[in-house]
Amino acid sequence: MMLRRTLPPTVGLICGLLLAACTGSSLDSETTEAAPGKDLTIGVVVPQSGPYQPIGADMLKGWTAYLERHGNKLGGRTVKYVLADEGDGGPTARAAVDRLITNDHVDAIVGVANADAVNNIAGPATAAHTPFIGTGGRPSTLSDLSFVWHTSFDSRDYGKAAGPYLKANVDGPVYAIGPDYQGGKDQVGGFVAAFTAAGGTLANPGGQPTYTPWPGDGNFGPWLTKIKESGAKAVYAFYAGAPAIAFVKQYQQFGVGLPLYGPAFLTEGAALAAQGAAANGITTVATYDPTLDNPGNAAFVADYKARNGGAAPNLYAETIYAAGALLDKAITAAGATASGEQINTAIGKLGTVTSPRGTWTLSPTTHTPVQRWCVRKAQAAGTGMANVVIKPDLTTLGG
Amino acid sequence: MADELIIALDGLALGLLLYCVATGLSLALGVAGVFQLSHGAFFLAGTCMAWWLAESGSWLGFFAALAAGLVSGGVAGGGLAVLLRPLTNHLDQVLATIGIGLVLVDLLTTGHGAQPRSVQAPPGLDRSVVLLGHAYPTYRLVVIVVAAALAVLLYLTVEASRAGALVRAVAADAGYVATLGVEPRRAQLLVMAAGGALATGTGVLGAPILGPAPGLDSSVLTLSLIIVVAGGLGSMRGSLAAALLVGQIQTTAAVAWPLAAPFLLLVLLVVGLVWRARRTTAGIRVT
Repeated sequence: MMLRRTLPPTVGLICGLLLAACTGSSLDSETTEAAPGKDLTIGVVVPQSGPYQPIGADMLKGWTAYLERHGNKLGGRTVKYVLADEGDGGPTARAAVDRLITNDHVDAIVGVANADAVNNIAGPATAAHTPFIGTGGRPSTLSDLSFVWHTSFDSRDYGKAAGPYLKANVDGPVYAIGPDYQGGKDQVGGFVAAFTAAGGTLANPGGQPTYTPWPGDGNFGPWLTKIKESGAKAVYAFYAGAPAIAFVKQYQQFGVGLPLYGPAFLTEGAALAAQGAAANGITTVATYDPTLDNPGNAAFVADYKARNGGAAPNLYAETIYAAGALLDKAITAAGATASGEQINTAIGKLGTVTSPRGTWTLSPTTHTPVQRWCVRKAQAAGTGMANVVIKPDLTTLGG
Repeated sequence: MADELIIALDGLALGLLLYCVATGLSLALGVAGVFQLSHGAFFLAGTCMAWWLAESGSWLGFFAALAAGLVSGGVAGGGLAVLLRPLTNHLDQVLATIGIGLVLVDLLTTGHGAQPRSVQAPPGLDRSVVLLGHAYPTYRLVVIVVAAALAVLLYLTVEASRAGALVRAVAADAGYVATLGVEPRRAQLLVMAAGGALATGTGVLGAPILGPAPGLDSSVLTLSLIIVVAGGLGSMRGSLAAALLVGQIQTTAAVAWPLAAPFLLLVLLVVGLVWRARRTTAGIRVT
């Protein structure tokens, strides 16, 4: 039968086409002319598709909030921004940054949620001497940091802050789990290093943390079943965005019943709203919360709520808002005609940056913030859920 | 040991779901001779309908989504059969259906957003039951029962009914069936419609487990193709065995050997192809 003869080559062709389709292409919703004179063009790379799409939406709100509150100017210079899609951190992010540099000639790049995307962006940005101000996870794999800065955190910092806290609060072994990509390995690995250094033991088989497929199909059942049999007294999990929703809901459905800890992402923003009652009691470590008590934060929260129909800002909106503050300060220092490279030099001399979370130091060696950490617990509040700060001053670390 | 059994049960739910999807693909290929590569997009469409009509879990919404899925999938499958009639070359069909699939996925993404969504099971089934000392989501047990019943029904229809005999006859030699006074095109149209309804209906059924997400269409299509090819084109029993194995690879093996699991799918494909090639060369009829 003809079909059987043509089947193998046709299936090969199909697999090739599927692979080609998977690489996708980047989107741009806004294009600008080449910036004349003193105007600046900033490339904004956030996830507009894939598992972290809700995070990208919050980041974009934070970025526009900063620009609009400051008359669309940074350091007195008019700013145009070009939006590009990060996708799930792979080829889409790479294509986006190539286009920003070669076509749009951006003076600086801000954004990025997924630590994997940083690996794809840092190289081309550094080669083009364009400063890149990251607002999500910083992977541990970068070697040349000369043009790479983060207003958010090193991906290992969350675990560093959480490790000793879990040792002090959990009486027994802890099961560590996260998604199988560089940011997940840094987040969970940072926790494992700090937790075991503080004398804690892992409940995972073989004493090694467990990693689930990334992007995966959203089914955590098999892993949750394993957790129950492990003899753990608590679970430390890193998931963000849509996987955080699926993980927390299934954590309840599969009746794991152990205290759940994690970095802030586990119960942040849109994820917490969708998790609902399943998130009750989840304890997270964080650098930002809309209830933090300082004047800058109060003004930021009020302005953000007014712009976004009463929705409170979250860490994703804050880190990119902080990137606006950082650039504002650096461009003011660099001058009205400074190039991207001169702005980069000015960033290195900033020392401290003030953003809604407070004033923090930009580490001269790692180019990441040295900042204060707090502990929050998700609780029912009114008709929905909210994170409540239960320990405002856990530690100060980073860099 | 209890945890291994629970994980295997989860794999069974996934495997049976995939079997229902893959059967539609297998029928389209084997009977209508159509490479239906928008099959994954049809499944995604079903999960989207579940999200639109039954996101927060209601019986009315669930049945509305199921009805909408079966009807629209059937109509779209039948329409595809008519549309693709002039394309007798497999390569042309592949390109046309991939294109249709991409357009469909893009339309759906515009509708539901390019992010994964979670769909709640209908009331009463959104809880957990205790099995072997483990809490296990009730809805997944229901999926196992429904998908298993569907699998039996499909098997009996294709292997033991008069309509099924006709379908198999069209698959074997459409020209010969035409000489008996039966219009093979009509059988092909019905089979394509059934295949479309199966993909979209299974999407609705599976949505609380595999919610609408970017890339779900291509992952379901790839797994279905592996099942159809490894199990043998048009072989109901072969597809079932392959689907159950794929279900276990995605769960039991993914937990036990996380690094090897993705390659096991390829091993299954190769073993399936070689096994049947050997049987063919030995002169035994392939089913």
